[in-house]
Amino acid sequence: MSASTSKLDADAHLLLDKPLLRLPHELLRKTFKQSQKAFEREQSHVLSTLNSLCNSPDISSEDALHSLDSLISRMQGFKRKVDALREEERTLHGHERKRIAHLQGIFEVGSLVEEGYERWSRVRLDRLMVDFLVRGGYEETATALAKEKGIEELVDVGVFSGCMRIEKSLRNRNTQEALAWCLENKAALRKMKSTLEFELRLQQYVELVRAKRHKDAMAHSKRFLAPHAETHFADIQKAAGLLAMVPETSVGRYKELYSPSRWEYLADTFVNTHHTLYGLPQRPLIHIALSAGMSSLKTPSCHSAVASSSSNTASMANSLCPICSKELNELAKNVPYAHHARSSVEPDPVMMPNGRIYGRERLEVLARKLGLPKGMVRDPTTGEDVEEKRLRKVYIM
Amino acid sequence: MDAIKAEFDRLDSRANLGKALVDINKCILLLENARNQIAKDPSSPSRVATLGRLHQSMAAQLDQVGNDHKEVYSALNRYGKALDKKFKAASAFSSSDYDALSNDGHLINRAIAMHLIREGQFAVAKTFMKEAGELDIPEDLQGEFVEMYQIVEAMKVRRDLEPAIAWARLKAGLLEQRGSNLEFDLCKLQFVWLFVQGGPDKSKARDYATKEFQRFWKKHLMEIAKLMCAFVFPTDLHESPYGKPFEDPERMWGDVAHSFTKEFCSLLGLSAESPLYLAATAGAIALPTLLKMTSIMKEKKTEWTSQNELPVEIPLPPAYHFHSIFVCPVSKDQTTDANPPMMLPCGHVIALESLQRLAKGGTQSTLKCPYCPKESTLVQAKKVII
Repeated sequence: MSASTSKLDADAHLLLDKPLLRLPHELLRKTFKQSQKAFEREQSHVLSTLNSLCNSPDISSEDALHSLDSLISRMQGFKRKVDALREEERTLHGHERKRIAHLQGIFEVGSLVEEGYERWSRVRLDRLMVDFLVRGGYEETATALAKEKGIEELVDVGVFSGCMRIEKSLRNRNTQEALAWCLENKAALRKMKSTLEFELRLQQYVELVRAKRHKDAMAHSKRFLAPHAETHFADIQKAAGLLAMVPETSVGRYKELYSPSRWEYLADTFVNTHHTLYGLPQRPLIHIALSAGMSSLKTPSCHSAVASSSSNTASMANSLCPICSKELNELAKNVPYAHHARSSVEPDPVMMPNGRIYGRERLEVLARKLGLPKGMVRDPTTGEDVEEKRLRKVYIM
Repeated sequence: MDAIKAEFDRLDSRANLGKALVDINKCILLLENARNQIAKDPSSPSRVATLGRLHQSMAAQLDQVGNDHKEVYSALNRYGKALDKKFKAASAFSSSDYDALSNDGHLINRAIAMHLIREGQFAVAKTFMKEAGELDIPEDLQGEFVEMYQIVEAMKVRRDLEPAIAWARLKAGLLEQRGSNLEFDLCKLQFVWLFVQGGPDKSKARDYATKEFQRFWKKHLMEIAKLMCAFVFPTDLHESPYGKPFEDPERMWGDVAHSFTKEFCSLLGLSAESPLYLAATAGAIALPTLLKMTSIMKEKKTEWTSQNELPVEIPLPPAYHFHSIFVCPVSKDQTTDANPPMMLPCGHVIALESLQRLAKGGTQSTLKCPYCPKESTLVQAKKVII
């Protein structure tokens, strides 16, 4: 049994680790696109300038020199920009290399019971904790933990804290930062058919109407909402209707637009969009790991009113079960318990007069350690002393 | 993983923006050269010729910068594809299924804070408690673990057993109840260490034994006697029948430190290994099985009928088994508080519900044990605790 249950399938083990490599890849693509875009701009500018220089033979040499000088300084500006992007790229490559090396580590471990596995798995737990902490807005703790454990290159505190900052600004009813972010990621957002930008613009419009600046609102609508007419025609119509409604309106569809809960909705939509864009899971990975793990460890005895005869702190035989331990007990209340098809109990089970069942050997070892008089055993859970002859053999099929 | 590594190496070493930088530099040089030439010879025909040449060479050089970008682009795509291929199965998680823990953030916070404390990350834990506010952590927990780490450090770094022994003496009653011999194990290690470290001079070990072993004679006389025999074989101890305890003192240090932390945590009502670590690791082990189960259920459009119990068995290594498991051999259900295990007079154990079914509801009607010929009644069955 132990040989098969200890087998490590490294590939299947990496189910949780997709975002680890995915995120730097997305960031690299972003860096690349910035460079690409800058290049396209420079290329067309340089070529058209040179073209017009070649096609105007009458130009004075001063003017020609002047044109060339400005081209040179533009090119140098471009070079500085690519230089900076190259630095960013170098850093990201460094992170990715470390991450690949970390994941490769699991392929060098032979089984789940090796010491190397525990080492690897502990790093994974640290990563999962940092992920959870930074998503929860505990940036300082996340940073401190990553630093303490030396895993800064394996976690993405910066990306998440940027995301949290914008989310917070939305909850504080400010669209500036979120709109800037939309602009920065315009192409990608269009590709994934995100409605985030429209929703933000719509909110700005609602705020203008709320402030009774109807003229500004109409101008805003013309400029920022109208271009989305193809996809959001109904919404734009509704927005136009809003002009006739006071913020205290009881008409459902307009009340909805005026509602302050729209800000919460915008914040959630932003986080959602952000995570989708970077290929990040919507919920912390530790949720997935913990709910699966707690379920597979949990037994009906873990939340039983009667202390189980096995694995409690009162007895020496085993360490306390992690689900019974204070840390997880309450958390594990709502997850299902593990499925078992067969009983597994200590060998040679015997029953105490109080109904508790133990393996005979465990009772004998305990009695010896306690130095009990011959023929006596002690219940490891309740502490009762009982004559050995009162033990009854039980048969567990 | 090797495919990913290969694609990444290509990305890192060849397809990076470094090449574009080199070619951009060349562009700048071309521009500067042309500029200098025109400055040197501003006459109209040569200027026109220079500009024409510059136009051509710049177009070519800029194309080169474009190619450099294309190379990065295609390498990034290939790398992305390699990632997708590797993590095909993982994408099942990105669809946000029902999340059982989404409302339990504060409980996870608490579990993490307790984990940090038990791992000795006191500074990080402090930052966390400041940032997250009230986490409902047992008040003295940190103090207890600070003490534990001080004692363990004394053992591991300074080879000093005094603090550990002092602790074990303080908690002697509780340890005794658990059937733990920690205090004796600590003293025994102290004796072995003095014996081994002293070289030919055994006086320290002898003094220690006379002073400390007195108190243990009732329970550990045989073992003390064996230890004392070491004095008889000071030179060829390892060939003697009494050499065993002295063979590997380094391992003894490790074992004793381990059982010390275990006892320490147990007295606090905590498990010896971090529950958060165990659960997260068990989760990673369980995920492939659970994922397979989910996909099969989706395929067959079946629902998971037993809400309280996982529908599949998760194979975990033996170290992850903590409780005895009783599965009723008749109904194949695990017993619970509502459906406890019952022992028939013949010693066979089945679940209460199975028993009631066998008795057909009547408390007085006889029922036959499903595993032996013996007959009994419902009232004769006794509830047991496994």
